[in-house]
Amino acid sequence: MNDVLIPVLLILLAPLLGGLLYGFERIVKARMQRRIGPPLLQPFYDFLKLADKRRIMVHSTHAFLGIMHFVSLWFALAVLLLGGDLILVIFLHLLSTSLLILAGYSTRSVFSHLGANRAAISVLAYEPVLIIMAVSIFMLNGTFDAAAVFTSKEPLLYKMPLAFIALLLVLPIKLKKSPFDVAEAHQEITGGVELEFSGLFYEAVYTARWLDYIFCYTLVFLFAGNNILLGTGLVIFTFIYLNALDNSTARVSYKQMLRFSLGVAGTLAFINLLLNSLS
Amino acid sequence: MNLAPYRKKSPWILHYNAGGCNGCDIEILACLSPKYDIERFGMINTGNPKQSDILLVTGPVTKRSRERLVEIYAQMPEPKVVISCGACASTGGVFRGMYNCEGGVDQFIPVDVYVCGCGTRPEQIIDGVVQALAILEKKTKGLEESVKLKKEAVKEGLQLNRRHIADEIKPVLT
Amino acid sequence: MYSFITGLFLLPLIVSGLLLVLPGKISKRLVILTSFLLAALALYIFINTKEPLYFKIPAYVNEAVAGADILLLIYFGWVALRKKSWLVGILTVLQLGGLLYLLKALPESHSVQFMVDKLSAFMFLLINVISGIIAVFSLRYIEEEECSAFRKKYFLSILFWFIGVMNLLVSSDNMEYFFLFFELTTLASFLLIGFRKDAVSVKNALTALWMNQVGGLAILAAVFFIAYNGYGEATFSNLLAHAADKGILLPLALIAVAAISKGAQLPFSKWLLGAMVAPTPVSALLHSSTMVKIAPFIILRLSPALKDTPVAMVLIGLTGFVFIAAAIGALAQDNLKRILAHSTIALLALMIMMGAMGTPVTIVASLVLILFHGISKCMLFLNAGVLEKVFHLKETSDMDRLGESGPFTSLVITLGFMSLLLPPFGAFIGKWLSIETLGALATDKKILGALVMVAVAGGGAVLSLLYFKVMGGLISRSGEQDRVRFEKTGPFYSATIYILFGLVLAGIIGLPLLLTHYFAPVAAETGRQAVPVVTEGWNMYIGSMRLPLVPLLVAFFLLPVTIITALFIRFRRVDRASEYMCGEKLNYSFSSFYFSTDRATPYFYAAGILFLATLILVALI
Repeated sequence: MNDVLIPVLLILLAPLLGGLLYGFERIVKARMQRRIGPPLLQPFYDFLKLADKRRIMVHSTHAFLGIMHFVSLWFALAVLLLGGDLILVIFLHLLSTSLLILAGYSTRSVFSHLGANRAAISVLAYEPVLIIMAVSIFMLNGTFDAAAVFTSKEPLLYKMPLAFIALLLVLPIKLKKSPFDVAEAHQEITGGVELEFSGLFYEAVYTARWLDYIFCYTLVFLFAGNNILLGTGLVIFTFIYLNALDNSTARVSYKQMLRFSLGVAGTLAFINLLLNSLS
Repeated sequence: MNLAPYRKKSPWILHYNAGGCNGCDIEILACLSPKYDIERFGMINTGNPKQSDILLVTGPVTKRSRERLVEIYAQMPEPKVVISCGACASTGGVFRGMYNCEGGVDQFIPVDVYVCGCGTRPEQIIDGVVQALAILEKKTKGLEESVKLKKEAVKEGLQLNRRHIADEIKPVLT
Repeated sequence: MYSFITGLFLLPLIVSGLLLVLPGKISKRLVILTSFLLAALALYIFINTKEPLYFKIPAYVNEAVAGADILLLIYFGWVALRKKSWLVGILTVLQLGGLLYLLKALPESHSVQFMVDKLSAFMFLLINVISGIIAVFSLRYIEEEECSAFRKKYFLSILFWFIGVMNLLVSSDNMEYFFLFFELTTLASFLLIGFRKDAVSVKNALTALWMNQVGGLAILAAVFFIAYNGYGEATFSNLLAHAADKGILLPLALIAVAAISKGAQLPFSKWLLGAMVAPTPVSALLHSSTMVKIAPFIILRLSPALKDTPVAMVLIGLTGFVFIAAAIGALAQDNLKRILAHSTIALLALMIMMGAMGTPVTIVASLVLILFHGISKCMLFLNAGVLEKVFHLKETSDMDRLGESGPFTSLVITLGFMSLLLPPFGAFIGKWLSIETLGALATDKKILGALVMVAVAGGGAVLSLLYFKVMGGLISRSGEQDRVRFEKTGPFYSATIYILFGLVLAGIIGLPLLLTHYFAPVAAETGRQAVPVVTEGWNMYIGSMRLPLVPLLVAFFLLPVTIITALFIRFRRVDRASEYMCGEKLNYSFSSFYFSTDRATPYFYAAGILFLATLILVALI
């Protein structure tokens, strides 16, 4: 019963949890800069305020694709939490990202196009690492199902530490954190693909980001197997690591990002794959 | 559900320099710094009109920037408030009457709060924003019209000299 | 049944002859009628083929085939002389010498020459349905081509000739026959690529000719070594019967070389890229249903023998390399057709790889990829033809207004690219099966498996970047264009594209059914191993693989349905705002990002040649 109940609850509450996480993150980030920071519920205030704005959009296609980005991301998260096939999950996530990228391309807006281009390049930067990670998990568990990982006794972290490091290196790309936030790049391309959304339609994209948090931290949680304590520790560690990194680094160019993620993170994941296959 | 109270809890700011000397802009950036930290009010400097609530304009409106100003204002979804930040944005300041200068922001878009000072202080800006939030809460989602747009258009090549300005200012001073 | 199959062989050939002499109007009807007839025949044969059918051919046909072989080679020799191409000349002389020697040395065989099993029937389906659609499409396309009336007839005639030859090729069991048809497809592609008769066309046609002749030569060598090693007749079934022997490796490697040259894998990729100068239906034909699909077909045919041999390992390594190299090469391209060509090469590599691995699941993956890649690529190429003739666009960087002037074309191209990349489309299922089986390979074969895995993961990501790059320019519309009206492109264009579009969508819905009832039996017979495909509730099991159907069903609504809806949906009571450009009101021309990866091409070729040498070396040792 618990096997189904907890994931279903998590899925239903995912936007809520993600919002809280985002609010907490903003506080932590502010405290790291010796600021006080916004209240914890700030993301929800933003959410409610955005719902109250006059509705404007560029054209319907663009607005609709933004909403579907949120829906498909939620679905990808649901498949992951219900213990679905990891490769399928990665590609469902790609599906939702591609809907957002298509939305960015569908307008004739310069920054939107730039952001979509960069988002597409980010996909190239993190996707191979995730797929190699999934295959490494397959080699250890004999199945691609995330459910098997959630119930496995021995944490994956001890068996494939290199893959975990590789994941840590690509997570900033996925979550659009500095130094790899080229896809979003506020003040440079003013938010990239998100730029042309406003009001209710922006809300979809804004909340999709909260879902992305849950998605990424679930990926981190995978490394702990059924050890909840270790999993929580890993999530907390990743959380602090991401925020410290975000606060302490400057944005790199997309070429540097590509070189780093494919060169360093990709190589780490590959070595991990080799070690797994040899042992 | 009445969502109006949440407007003032998450004001997102768009900052636009219409052609000033950057003095006020530096002060605005100081507001974001740890000392003043306006993010504790939930404010974000977005840089994107489509998602912001407050337009913070600095500098006098020059001939090149007036259309951009109106365009950006039009792209902001209602309800929205405009703060003209500093002497130049409010009246044209030291640039008033120059050949390239159109005067204050309120000639083109409706301004809700005027913040004085040549270099406004961060405290003043924060104070202005707080006043603007009170106005924002009461605003509707209807469109507002510009003061200037109702009047006839500025004639090309029209130059104001110091005497004209003195005539205009005199009733204000007395 | 025999008569139906014979009909499939002879009908296109007869029509091909008729088209040359009949007047325009009747030939138009003939083409449409024949296309339907061929598709129906192929479908009937595919459904009703239960056991492999063996054809016995009267002895005089053997003589005729030998004669046709010699005539063909004499023609090639004449081409070499006329175009002064010493490469073609040398290869022709070598082939002629080899052929004459073999005709003399080998005993006259009177056993089966043709064998139609489920794999052949599957290929019939692919060849006839899709080529038929292309033929109908080219009725209109060729009218707009600037050439004489006779050459227009001649073009259609060769198209049908090609279909007929392909039908014969996929059902021939005897390798001498196979060699003839192999060379005939080479001839057909040579004539079609050189159709426009300008300097570039002629040059690229000659490149295609000599590269494919290498393949032909490899087949002759394979026949020789089969006889030399004492395996008796040079037939595929005989080859498979001796699958356990060591000496069979060399013929296998040689036939694999033939497959690589036909499938335009590195180092032979140049001919397919050069073939883009031909009229677009030709590219569609070469890429989707005929010509290059011979490569995975040959490998699938031989997969029980190839499986787990060193040759297969080298082949897997080569194709893994080609997959990523072709994807990287494509990033530097701007011409839509060249981009499509690169992505074909990459996906062909995946099909060949899956065929070479030879486990039940991989064979299913290969078949799925062959079919759905065929449909999607055909759709994309036909749209490239529409772009060329209706919108006068060839380069992707010029297409930034297409979303406004041709929303239907841009929608179809977008979905076409998506169908090669994302769930729930058939090609994705093929890719998914590939990645998951490669995981198993990495467990068995250690370093090779891991390397190929990385190549496939990286290549897949590069391909997705490539598709986004192309889509980026295609779909943008300004805010004023909220209401979308589909453009009119003419009945032949829109009908064929609608059919293909329907096939792509139907492929998603029908996939579970297709997998259990059609792909699995074909794969079982091809791989000589039962393929257990079971549907339990909402899960489908292929071997040890689990295919959850619910996510795929939801993905159907999330992707194709969403994109189509997005075009038509209109939000009411929502105001419009113009795009944010820092307050400016300028018109920008959009071009996508650009990677200069041309520098790597020579290294890719060198690596390809190295792989090829290893392939032969491994077989010799």
